[in-house]
Amino acid sequence: MSEHGLPPKSSIKRWLVTTNHKDIGILYILTSLFFLIFGGTLALLIRLQLWTSGEFILSGSAFGQAVTAHGLVMVFFFLSPFAFGFANYIVPLQIGADDLAFPRLNALSYWLYLFAGLLFLISFFQGGSLEAGWTMYAPLNLPTYMPNPGASTVVGALLMFVASVTVSTINFVVTIHQMKADGLSLWNLPMFTWSILLTVWMMLIAFAALGAALLILGADHVLDTVYFTEVEGGSLLWAHLFWFFGHPEVYIVFFPALGVMLETFQTFTGRRLIGRKWVILAMILVTLQSFLVWMHHMFLTTINLEIKTLMMAMTIGISLPFDLIVFAMIYTLIKGRIRWTTPFLFNFGALVLFIIGGITGVFLGAIVLDYEFRGTYWVVAHFHYVMVAGGTALFGGLYYWWPKITGKMYDEYLGKMHFGAYFVGFNLLYFAMFMSWEMPRRVFTYHTGFEAYNQMATIGGFILGASFLIMFYNFYQSWYRGPVADGNPWEYSRTAEWATDSPPPLENWEGIPNYEKGFLEFVDRPEGLTDGGHGEDHHDRHPDHASIWPLTISLTTFIGLAGLMLWGEHIVYNTLFIVGLFATLVAAVGFAREDFYAPMPDWGARWPFEGIHKNKFGMWIFLASDIVIFGAFIGAYIFIRWGYGWEAWQTIPPEALPGLVNTFVLLTSSFTVILALVYAQRGNQKGLVASLIATFGLATLFLVIKSWEWNYLLPEAETLPEATIALFTFDWDPLIGTEGPALDASIQHSTYYVTTGLHAIHILIGMIALGYLAIRAYHGAYLDDEQPVENVGLYWHFVDIAWVFLFPLFYIL
Amino acid sequence: MRWASDRLAQVGEFVVPLSHAPGDEWRTQASVFEEIYFIFLALGTAVGIVVIGYMLYNGWKYSASKGTTELDDPPVLGELPRGEGGGKKLFLSFGISAVIVITLIVWSYSALIYAEQGPEEFEDNMVVEVEGYTFGWDFIYENGETSTNTLVVPEDHVVTLEVTSRDVWHTFGVTELRIKADSIPGQTATTWFIADEQGIYLAECFELCGAGHSFMEADVIVVSEETFEEMYDEFTETGSFPDPPDDLEER
Amino acid sequence: MASIKFYFAIYVALLLLAVSKVVFMELLDYWAAVGGIMLSAAVKTGLIAGFYQHLVDEPRAVTWVVLMAVAAVLLLASAATFSIT
Ligand code: HEM
Ligand SMILES: [Cu+2]
Ligand SMILES: [Cu+2]
Repeated sequence: MSEHGLPPKSSIKRWLVTTNHKDIGILYILTSLFFLIFGGTLALLIRLQLWTSGEFILSGSAFGQAVTAHGLVMVFFFLSPFAFGFANYIVPLQIGADDLAFPRLNALSYWLYLFAGLLFLISFFQGGSLEAGWTMYAPLNLPTYMPNPGASTVVGALLMFVASVTVSTINFVVTIHQMKADGLSLWNLPMFTWSILLTVWMMLIAFAALGAALLILGADHVLDTVYFTEVEGGSLLWAHLFWFFGHPEVYIVFFPALGVMLETFQTFTGRRLIGRKWVILAMILVTLQSFLVWMHHMFLTTINLEIKTLMMAMTIGISLPFDLIVFAMIYTLIKGRIRWTTPFLFNFGALVLFIIGGITGVFLGAIVLDYEFRGTYWVVAHFHYVMVAGGTALFGGLYYWWPKITGKMYDEYLGKMHFGAYFVGFNLLYFAMFMSWEMPRRVFTYHTGFEAYNQMATIGGFILGASFLIMFYNFYQSWYRGPVADGNPWEYSRTAEWATDSPPPLENWEGIPNYEKGFLEFVDRPEGLTDGGHGEDHHDRHPDHASIWPLTISLTTFIGLAGLMLWGEHIVYNTLFIVGLFATLVAAVGFAREDFYAPMPDWGARWPFEGIHKNKFGMWIFLASDIVIFGAFIGAYIFIRWGYGWEAWQTIPPEALPGLVNTFVLLTSSFTVILALVYAQRGNQKGLVASLIATFGLATLFLVIKSWEWNYLLPEAETLPEATIALFTFDWDPLIGTEGPALDASIQHSTYYVTTGLHAIHILIGMIALGYLAIRAYHGAYLDDEQPVENVGLYWHFVDIAWVFLFPLFYIL
Repeated sequence: MRWASDRLAQVGEFVVPLSHAPGDEWRTQASVFEEIYFIFLALGTAVGIVVIGYMLYNGWKYSASKGTTELDDPPVLGELPRGEGGGKKLFLSFGISAVIVITLIVWSYSALIYAEQGPEEFEDNMVVEVEGYTFGWDFIYENGETSTNTLVVPEDHVVTLEVTSRDVWHTFGVTELRIKADSIPGQTATTWFIADEQGIYLAECFELCGAGHSFMEADVIVVSEETFEEMYDEFTETGSFPDPPDDLEER
Repeated sequence: MASIKFYFAIYVALLLLAVSKVVFMELLDYWAAVGGIMLSAAVKTGLIAGFYQHLVDEPRAVTWVVLMAVAAVLLLASAATFSIT
């Protein structure tokens, strides 16, 4: 039995090629639970080590690696993906869509995530993993101070994770804005969908900043640049970049959980949310404010009093919307008919924990107190109360949606047992940490006075861990023997995911969901169509649900990155990189060439993004994240240069002329790429092909001038051909050689090469896209659908704009 | 309880921390911290108990198993989401919590100013440079000599610490004295303290700095002014501090 | 969609603005030149984004998304730089 080209669920192949949002959701949930077990095991190891105050089972270094990996795995590879498992499964159902806007990209996000996780795991077998805490403070995050080779691999793994997040961010932004059922406005989105929408908007900016930070860190690892060893502020630079991401990140992991709480509080009290619009406004406010408080993690550093005060005020500011949200949930209880099912117990418990976490957070907002709490177990206790409260709500979500996903009921009694053990274990574990708050964190031996608290915490930790055995047993039983759940097992549920079968059919609905009349109705699908009469030529075509390319691209990227991060360590790594790079190119072309049909509903593009096609919209969202990446690179440059003394800084290119010529070249290419669009619209094939080739040629010219300029600066590659060959054969020795002005010669060199290098890589990627377009256009493509030409053009203009700023900053100022 | 009543007494004498103009009696960082911490703890606990208690009470009162409430307008599957009334109460509770939070933080802010400005008002501050390295602390005195992992200071004196690092990011902190400052390469963070009781205090590192992070400790030895003078003289001559008197307590 | 002529006019304006950067550097004193150069970079960006990327024709919200990203990085760069002074 095959569902529109998809093998059946019992076949392994299905799970490798599926692009269906429900399948991907399940994959996300399962994989994240695997990482929960991994991160949890590390946590138990840490707790075991802390059972006694002296040395025990772990060495100092092993402990450091365990703490680091535990933090990174729990935050990145468990909590967020767990939430996005639900987002994948539930959001399209809640908004009445058949799937996400870009099903293949969704599969790509998943596979990138999985392989990023595997890359992380591999780092442990490369002679030691990262050992710098999940905050990865500089310069301990560099090989000079922490030579474990696996640390570089971790940087690569995190970069890959950022790529996964970026792809899925774009996908969810576009989906939620453009795939809603007819009659369902932004304002009417269910709370879980609202929470995911705001989460992805935060992720768009925050993860781009992390991406930039990791790219720079990666350059320091692989190319030996000196950003974070630069004494004038390298450490602080990392702290700024990291926390600019890191603070929004705590809301990114918490918001989906908040969404689950808001849903379950309504369902299990039988009441609608009190002050719904205020709650939504409060969440929007938090989303914005989350970018204004990052330096409250840096109160003890050398930042000035003015900015500390500002950050403190913002921090109080951001706690207020949360107050409102909490009270709204509490008041929703009143006059309800509360059913204390397992999902509700978990969510009610989560709110209790979150309140404790929130109150202890106010302590940290008072700078004088923060001075003392920084680096102690107070912080550890506080953020676990907040983040794992989020986890608690999500476990409630797992029970809540389990019948929907599996079509089976779980056992309530076992569920309540799980909650009981979980809640007791949790509080023993983390409350004990509050009581031992004078103890420094991330230490593996400590003073005997804290032993009692630590043992209490360890016991709590093991109870907490053991409670999950009950959960897994419960789900196991339910899966094989549980009673069948119908489409809507919960009384008073409101949202659309309960208005279809459990589990829902491949395309979710029999008819087309519609809210035009103010409530959910299903209108008939036009004969022979499932996409609701998409206005374009594909009329009678059925949407696709399978592609092998997402998995392939992720696998090849994985290979390439594994090689790149340890480039030069061993010939094996060099080979892996080159093989991975070329395989990725091939896979990307395969992806692009595949004729994959994923329609967009006619009514999709609504306020505030009316009338824009999902592909173009997706491109703009991507560009927004790329703006942040370039912006963070430029920001890093400004920050370092300012600390160094702005005017004392020497610009690296001795002449502005090559840069100016390149400016002309790029501007001209922007003009030719717009010509290509005009010709495509006019149906002029010759013009189209010619302008694409011209653009490609200009891009090549740009790179040639660039390499000439680099060569000119690099004494070891004496001629232009030598420099070019060096560039294209990835024989970077002349670039990173120790003699003369190379990448690592000074911070000026590092910033110049890395920033213009990032730009050059953008050019290369653009050239690949342009070349691809040119070849396809030569064979007659794009004359009736110029969208790809336009979208690549958008990217190309952006690369041009980036240069508009790089040129003055690095050449003339 | 005694701890609590001591703290309360302190609050009395220190309601407006800013009112301490220079020349008044200076307070140690420790006592400022203890007082603010106490207030936060007391209020935080109270608020926590009230809010969580209220949740539990309503959870119990409106439990379906009691069967007392009938919903007047139960939600139905497929309705467009909308909210329920009750906004007034929401804003009232929100307002109260906002007032508590803002008052607390603003009040603690004046203490921050005090903590930040402290040492500048004193003429004869003793300044010690603290340089962290993996894994230990160097203390560089005004005489140019360096003492490793031992900081000796006189009792009842303002000591200013200028903290930096030779390699990676550390954080210098002495829990009992309630002082802490980041030790960052290329940066100098400043903090100050007055130790009002003699003894041996423990300085620790509060930022993960490598495999030896747990062991990165130093002694802070607080002695009487006269003993300090003697010890300092010998330090100036020989480059290392003599052993402190044996009767010092560990704190 | 506009005509090729229009796009060409924009192109010429862009070239002139590019030259202006170097000219500013020659003529003005350092910080005035910095201001002038950044101004002309901003204008160039506006021209490219507005007319080559057709932001003027898209729903206004797309412009806001872009501006939001720009605001985020400006905030990061300026607040971080300010914090060390
Ligand atoms: C959703 C689940 C969890 C998340 C998101 C989470 C997150 C984190 C993070 C970010 C850190 C900081 C790592 C660092 O210092 O670099 C950390 C540390 C720690 N966590 Fe968790 N954690 C979770 C669950 C647990 C569990 C179940 C336990 C205990 C059984 C636990 C015990 C610890 C301990 C002992 C530390 C080390 C504290 C230190 O030495 O500084 N965590 N966790
Ligand atoms: Cu924060
Ligand atoms: Cu340390």
